Amino acid sequence: MKSEFRIQKIEVLNIIRSSKFVILNSIFFSLLLFIISCSNPYKNLAKSEYSINEIQKIPYALPYSEQTIIYKTDISFYKNDISGLLIIKKTEESIYRIALTTQFGLKIFDFELNQGNLKVKYCIEYLNKKIILNTFETDFNLLLMQMNFESLTSYNNQLENQKVWQLKSGKLNYNYIQNINSDKIENIRFMKRNSEKISVGLHNYKGDIPENISLQHHNIKLKMNLKLIQ
Amino acid sequence: MTKILSTVLSLLIFSCIIYAQDNNFKEVKDIENAQLDLAKLSENTNSIQSTFIQEKHLSFLTENIISKGEFYFQSPNKLRWEYSDPFKYIIVFNDKNILIKDENKLSTFDTESNKMFSEINNMMIGSIQGSLFTDSERFNVKYFENTTQYLLELDPKLPEMKSMIKTIKIYIDKSDISVSSIKMIESSDDYTSINFTNRKMNQPIDNNKFELK
Repeated sequence: MKSEFRIQKIEVLNIIRSSKFVILNSIFFSLLLFIISCSNPYKNLAKSEYSINEIQKIPYALPYSEQTIIYKTDISFYKNDISGLLIIKKTEESIYRIALTTQFGLKIFDFELNQGNLKVKYCIEYLNKKIILNTFETDFNLLLMQMNFESLTSYNNQLENQKVWQLKSGKLNYNYIQNINSDKIENIRFMKRNSEKISVGLHNYKGDIPENISLQHHNIKLKMNLKLIQ
Repeated sequence: MTKILSTVLSLLIFSCIIYAQDNNFKEVKDIENAQLDLAKLSENTNSIQSTFIQEKHLSFLTENIISKGEFYFQSPNKLRWEYSDPFKYIIVFNDKNILIKDENKLSTFDTESNKMFSEINNMMIGSIQGSLFTDSERFNVKYFENTTQYLLELDPKLPEMKSMIKTIKIYIDKSDISVSSIKMIESSDDYTSINFTNRKMNQPIDNNKFELK
């Protein structure tokens, strides 16, 4: 009975010790990660500086398309699921209309994105809240590359076969990551003080337009999945 | 003089355009008689099978967005909307249950917990089966007709509904008192119109159409 108790005690101690080790280890690694992530990950790569007017050098055609683009869209926002058709139309230079309708056709929202500023033409009541609208503004600015920025730099990451186009505005970093082989932007990452806030994957390009787009927020529970239908 | 003439002319042209758009619909004089006629819609409709073409008009687009699919209704409260082109999406209302198959993802809701779907359900079943026309609590109904069709214009009274829809126009063929198209006009004048084609009335529908797996 006694020995059994001792064995149990040793086991418990071992677990505590090993978990201590795990905790210490994870603290160490997260510190390390923190230090690494605080420095610019592209610091040692060959870089080129551009003027902000040269943004068209980024091989990303979505913002310039004159066609009406329609994506079948699923948005999950905390416990809400919204599904429908997202219609994107460039109406003038730097002006877009972005509307979401249900499959039945009823409009959920209709926004105008004018030089990075979101104006509500229509929005159903339960989404018509400042915090949600600001989120949509950030998301669509990221997708359509309409945000304001102060500098444009590219980094060549031969090892990963990537070219990273970095748009910077103060503590905000927008990275458009080009696959060198396909010449297409396949990832977009939005960072604030080097912590990633939003990541976007763009896959299966049909000509210049990605067939699948998945956008995910890291600090709030918001995901968008887009599938091209036109 | 020329000014007056041109005003008269443009007014004439303008009224001609309105005339043409509304296909010669005039307000129904004998509403009671029309109501009696339209009551056949709910009395005689046991089931409907039909294909449909949906057109979405948005003011900022030059072309309408078109989707197509099939439609099944079984009295009193079973409905299947199946979009097949350009996307796959099926929604089934079966009593209090709502089933949605989006590509291959199946989800279920109940109408009591999901107010928006229950509104859609009421609107769809109500406009096809006729119960919406007599719902004077929720709609102001205006009756129009031409030689072949009735046109019912329903203006929602409730503020939640009003904020989404300005008017629902329901076109009903006089020959067999069946709904041939529905037009939902939003407050911005953007609209969705749904045309029912190849309508088959009161033919048996397999029950598994109202189940989704």
